[in-house]
Amino acid sequence: MKRIRLYRVCGLLMMVLAVAAAPAVADVWSQCPPDTDGVDTDGDGIDDNDHVCLHVSAGDGFINMGDGRLTYTFGFSDVTGIPDGDVMMAGMLAAEFPGPTIVVKEGQILYLNLTNVGMTIRPDLFDPHTVHWHGFPNAASIFDGVPDASISINMGSTLTYYYNVVEPGTYMWHCHVEAAEHMQMGMLCQIYVLPIQNNLEDGSDLNGFTHHTGYKYAYNDGDGSTCYDVGYPIQIAAFDPEFHDASLNVQPLPFAMMVDKYPMLNGRGYPDTVDPDPILNTADDLGLEPRYSQKISSLITATQGDKILLRISSLSTTSFHTLTVLGIPMRVVGQGARPLRGKDPDGDGPLLGEDLSYETTSVTLGGGEAKDAILDTSAVEPGTYFLYTANLDHLSNNTEDFGGMMTEIVISAPSPSPPVPAEGRFARPVGRKLLRR
Amino acid sequence: MIPRLVAHIGRLSVVVTMFFSFSVASAYAGAEIDGLTGTDFTFTAKADCVSGADGLSLFIWGFANGDGRAQYPGPTLILEEDIPVTIHLKNEISWPEPVPVSLVFPGQMDVTATGGDPGLLTREAPPDGTTVVTYTFTPTEPGTYHYHSGTRPDLQIEMGLVGAIIVRPTGFDPGSPRAYAHADSAYDHEYLFLLTEMDYNIHRLVEFGRMDEVDTTTFFPVYWFINGRNAPDTMLMAGIPWLPTQPYNCMPRMHPGEKLLMRIIGAGRDAHPFHPHGNNARIIAKDGRLLQSTPGAGADLAISDFTLASVPGQTIDAIFEWTGAALGWDIYGHAPGDDPEPNEYMPDHGKAFPVVLPGQQELTFGAAYSGSPFLGVFGDMGPGEGGLNANAGYFYMWHSHNEKEMVNNDIFPGGMMTMLIIEPPGVPIP
Repeated sequence: MKRIRLYRVCGLLMMVLAVAAAPAVADVWSQCPPDTDGVDTDGDGIDDNDHVCLHVSAGDGFINMGDGRLTYTFGFSDVTGIPDGDVMMAGMLAAEFPGPTIVVKEGQILYLNLTNVGMTIRPDLFDPHTVHWHGFPNAASIFDGVPDASISINMGSTLTYYYNVVEPGTYMWHCHVEAAEHMQMGMLCQIYVLPIQNNLEDGSDLNGFTHHTGYKYAYNDGDGSTCYDVGYPIQIAAFDPEFHDASLNVQPLPFAMMVDKYPMLNGRGYPDTVDPDPILNTADDLGLEPRYSQKISSLITATQGDKILLRISSLSTTSFHTLTVLGIPMRVVGQGARPLRGKDPDGDGPLLGEDLSYETTSVTLGGGEAKDAILDTSAVEPGTYFLYTANLDHLSNNTEDFGGMMTEIVISAPSPSPPVPAEGRFARPVGRKLLRR
Repeated sequence: MIPRLVAHIGRLSVVVTMFFSFSVASAYAGAEIDGLTGTDFTFTAKADCVSGADGLSLFIWGFANGDGRAQYPGPTLILEEDIPVTIHLKNEISWPEPVPVSLVFPGQMDVTATGGDPGLLTREAPPDGTTVVTYTFTPTEPGTYHYHSGTRPDLQIEMGLVGAIIVRPTGFDPGSPRAYAHADSAYDHEYLFLLTEMDYNIHRLVEFGRMDEVDTTTFFPVYWFINGRNAPDTMLMAGIPWLPTQPYNCMPRMHPGEKLLMRIIGAGRDAHPFHPHGNNARIIAKDGRLLQSTPGAGADLAISDFTLASVPGQTIDAIFEWTGAALGWDIYGHAPGDDPEPNEYMPDHGKAFPVVLPGQQELTFGAAYSGSPFLGVFGDMGPGEGGLNANAGYFYMWHSHNEKEMVNNDIFPGGMMTMLIIEPPGVPIP
């Protein structure tokens, strides 16, 4: 028996609009309502800065594999801050791999504007795009980005996604339109949420652990057990060169024969993974302007004594992968954007239950999984260590042995003079693109 | 500019019901997993065909219930804790050549087999159509399990000789169901996700009598199944006449605030990262054992994750919940003074939809979109759009996240995929 309902929603919508009216036909139009609720939701003491507005474009582009092969891709690129009227030109052929990493804080509200700039190399394609925030808790279908279940944005227009960020942890985001195709072609990105515990007052007691300003945690652990000094997102993915070539050459796409031959971390095959700078593609081989389309390095640097948080995610479209680190103890503290803790013994209180984190030397992820691992360098000699896949055949860039899914962890000796200041350190290697407000 | 979201008068007739499962062939009223109950079963191994969702016929060997038709997967057995069961196995497989078959029951203890011929793992039924092998065991632990042929399993499981077993805990109450004795395993709806793959070449070679050329070491699947069907057939009704050898479907549905039990079985030879859109799921048990620190503690070692890694031979029980909590806007499109819905997250009651959606010509609409972002509300999408959302529910794709597996023999979409429907309160779910 169906329920009959009649709702009037016009008035609700009109009240939300703070800027110009919606466009009547295809147009780029980003939305960023001001934060006027008078409530500080992200815990920084300021009540009108909880809104984060970002703008990404979805289109095509090129990157280079570890063996130099120029590869056609689809992808996102960061166009935040570019005036709406210039976004189409800025976004065309600007696809990055991985796409821009988004960093937000628990309690913020993210307005993610997605503009479809079309496929410049494939003018016969009119694919729409979406954003799927993989793992967003209690997601509503309209912002979940599954095209069959909701809406996707056509070329030349903008769709604004809204996320009330409440759950800290490591996630991914990607396009879900024709998922097997768009994901294999490279529309993959990272997103992680910083816990509100980072904002505690200096000197706060966390069940025996004393918080100081600048301390960072992976989760609201309540006891400092996920505290870390430097954090690195690492995303596993891999390309099938024949699939990408077929897309470039307007050929039928080999879905059934999809075999990945370029395993990558953060969009690069070793040794490119340890290049700290953005990599310029060689699109000039095709008479196009070269672009910086691989902006995320996987080089991990730390000082002896640091705890390194690896936010590991996989968006492989074909396989499971296992990562291992030689010589540095690793403890997995989170999985699926939840801390590895048992249930609260008292019910649903703030206290977390039994510690389910575990020491390991290997972390296995299939596509769509994310795990948080902390490397403890306190008893490790300075030097260069390796984070690499135990799927040893994936230590290659196609037929080029050796390369692929590997990067380096460079541990330097601690500085002899003044002790680490209470504010802590947050290392950000040159060339990593972070979107934040 | 006319706002995109418009009020809509609810529909007066149910349409497009052919795509959704409203009928259940099961002994329990309200149960959502089809299967056989009882303590004495007869399986007959037979040759037949299944339909890939691309329309191709795939030759299979399957277990039939008694004298019925072979089915893929084999009949789901719904058993009771500590109640002995007996399964009689006959074998009529003669194409392309007579092959013996058998049954093994991973996770069950003290299985006895009598009759038939001796085999490597257990006693086998010769393909004469009359010899009966009798297997008996007592399932002593509730949970999710499976069975498969123990004869040349690398080929016979691929060919389809596999099925699910569910063991109900002692004192199971269909009105207040639990997967195990402990309240942590309570649920409102349960659904089976038996995950398998097929390499088309192997089935072709077997079908054309070229058994000697079958090489299962070069296995390369191009079909992926949930409960024996490729998407989108997973979302058709159970027992539909045009899929006579694929009687089971996978069409999970729930209301906000309810608990949905996912029984995931890695019944093939590949691992699959199963991703339920919409929320994390809490893994409460693996291989028929609650993740508990001490007996009676309940699932205190449960892990919450947004992607559940199913590995071959392993079963996972996970509880999925969804309330729409903390989204920051009223998912029902209420005005502040409207009555609350059951299990509604009241802090967001009456809060306006936070963005302006693009115009109709700027959007591509999904077939399962209701036309409105609000739960239970239909909206205008223009002629020919939508049509697969009978109740204006929220649809979420549940699928293997190795995206290659969402394909039917080179055709996207398909494969190991289905949709969860979160129905508005009041919509009946059998």
